[in-house]
Amino acid sequence: MNRGDVTRFLRRLGEASKAIFIMNNRGLVGLILLSIPIAMALFPQAIAPYNPWETTGAPFEPPSWRHLLGTNDMGQDIFSELVYGARISLLVGFTAAAATVILGTVIGLIAGYVGGFVDEVLLTVTDTMMLIPVLPFMILLAAMLGQGYQNIILVITIFSWPSVARLVRAQTLSLKQNVYVEAARAVGASGSWIMFKHILPQLLPLLVAFIVLRAGGAMIAEASLSFLGLGDPTQKSWGTMIYWAQRSGAISSGAWWWITAPGLMITLSVLGFAQVGYAMEEYVNPRLRAR
Amino acid sequence: MPGIARYVARKVASRILVFFIIVSVTFIIPRLMPGGAFAYLIENPNISPELREALIKEFGLDKPLWVQYVAFLKEFFLRGNIGISFYYLKPVSEVIMQALPWTVALVTTSVVLSALFGITLGALAAYKRGSKLEAGMFNTFMFIRSMPSFWLGLVLLIVFGYYLRVAPLYGAYTYGATYRSTLDFIADVMWHLWLPMTTLVLLGTSVYFILSRNSVVDVLTEDFVMVAKAKGLSDKEVLFRHALRPASLPVLTYLALDLGYSIGGALLVEVVFSLPGVGKLMYEAVYMTDYPLLLGIVIYVSALTLTLITIAEILYAFIDPRVKLL
Repeated sequence: MNRGDVTRFLRRLGEASKAIFIMNNRGLVGLILLSIPIAMALFPQAIAPYNPWETTGAPFEPPSWRHLLGTNDMGQDIFSELVYGARISLLVGFTAAAATVILGTVIGLIAGYVGGFVDEVLLTVTDTMMLIPVLPFMILLAAMLGQGYQNIILVITIFSWPSVARLVRAQTLSLKQNVYVEAARAVGASGSWIMFKHILPQLLPLLVAFIVLRAGGAMIAEASLSFLGLGDPTQKSWGTMIYWAQRSGAISSGAWWWITAPGLMITLSVLGFAQVGYAMEEYVNPRLRAR
Repeated sequence: MPGIARYVARKVASRILVFFIIVSVTFIIPRLMPGGAFAYLIENPNISPELREALIKEFGLDKPLWVQYVAFLKEFFLRGNIGISFYYLKPVSEVIMQALPWTVALVTTSVVLSALFGITLGALAAYKRGSKLEAGMFNTFMFIRSMPSFWLGLVLLIVFGYYLRVAPLYGAYTYGATYRSTLDFIADVMWHLWLPMTTLVLLGTSVYFILSRNSVVDVLTEDFVMVAKAKGLSDKEVLFRHALRPASLPVLTYLALDLGYSIGGALLVEVVFSLPGVGKLMYEAVYMTDYPLLLGIVIYVSALTLTLITIAEILYAFIDPRVKLL
């Protein structure tokens, strides 16, 4: 890559960001919503008033100036827990979404480009996966693999790729009809060269939008598995916080602050990802804007 | 064979195939786990040596894989036997069958109510496009849609159950109560279930609302709607007599595909409200590492999902006259 390429790339990136985050209301709202959890994830020490693992108050203290969001059953500051939990929650959600989109793209590309018997087998697998109740399967696999966030990411990826594969397959089928693909084949390019050098780059902007759109769903999946105790209970994530709140009697002690805070952060992040994702999709595919 | 019968037969056949694949997968998954076949089971310190021997014998773990597979399929399809629950020490099917009616009732009622509310409100929003009402509904439902199901349940539980005391904190009926009549029992169950049901209906409505709104907006731009308007029909007549039926088709298609997620949400909400359904069973199975029960739950919930999906698709065939031509 020479300097001209870099400046051209940066200019296009700037144009895209302007269209997505400034010209589009939904993108702007999403960016504002996401800025809070992202700031927490990047600079927890600067934002959190306390060490979230230290006892800094009485158990079950309601919100006050000393403890903005109160304390939990161990007297730990919930606001600080929330700040430190942002990193794992966002990272797990985003990584799982990215892995999902990568796996789905590879399968969709192969099914769409190779066609024939391979396509039929992959399509059958995809359709079967789309009919199963995903959550019980995720729980089964996560329970057998054991606690831990790598396993949660793996489990979410394994059960989320089919819808991405279907969309990529459909796109590949239509891109395959282009003249330049035929031209590449005529000069002797191999199938994988055409798939990854000619078709994949066309799909990239859409795939970035998919990752952002999927991140919210992956965050909810992580929270659900953590809520059932399948996360890492020694670490702090928003889902694990709700797990401990429920197990330690937050409901029967009326500790609404402990229940509300982590779920609200999840909700706002999911909403933020969805809005930014829609704005990106609209930028990539302007036909959607009509609605 | 008439179109609908052929359509239904084809759907049912393909679902049975999918179910067969799912049953096979539940055979494979525990045998693929790190540490080899059933390592978690054999090396479980909570299990006595006698039980261990019995389990090895029951699962045929000393035999070749294909023999195990054939035996597994025979046991399942001929005798409905999935295994013995570690924790309850009873056949898994028996344990699940006791919990299943609660889950079926919760899921079907909430999906039907959500679809009705979602489609109607979505149509209303599309009809009032650009108004404050539409924007308000859209933003509210987008917000609810972004919530984890179990969290919405917990928030409603603490507000209505703990602070306002208008709903019980746990269970589907009062434990140890004696009822004078069936009606009393039903009243007690309704008192316990209104809040979990509200949770699920709010979540479901938010999903179907957005779909229905977009779908009605699309239909309202079609030529036949213009013709209906040109004939002098009122807006209300156009909406309810011409636009709603085609607009509900994409919603129904999505509803069928989304049933797996709706059931997942219901299972988590059961955990929150301690309802005696499959979700709570699943929570206990995870906690007790009761793998046979967990495997059984996956099979039963899959069967339930596939059945409901097929019903939704048959319903689709009756709403969409084009299916008859297939």
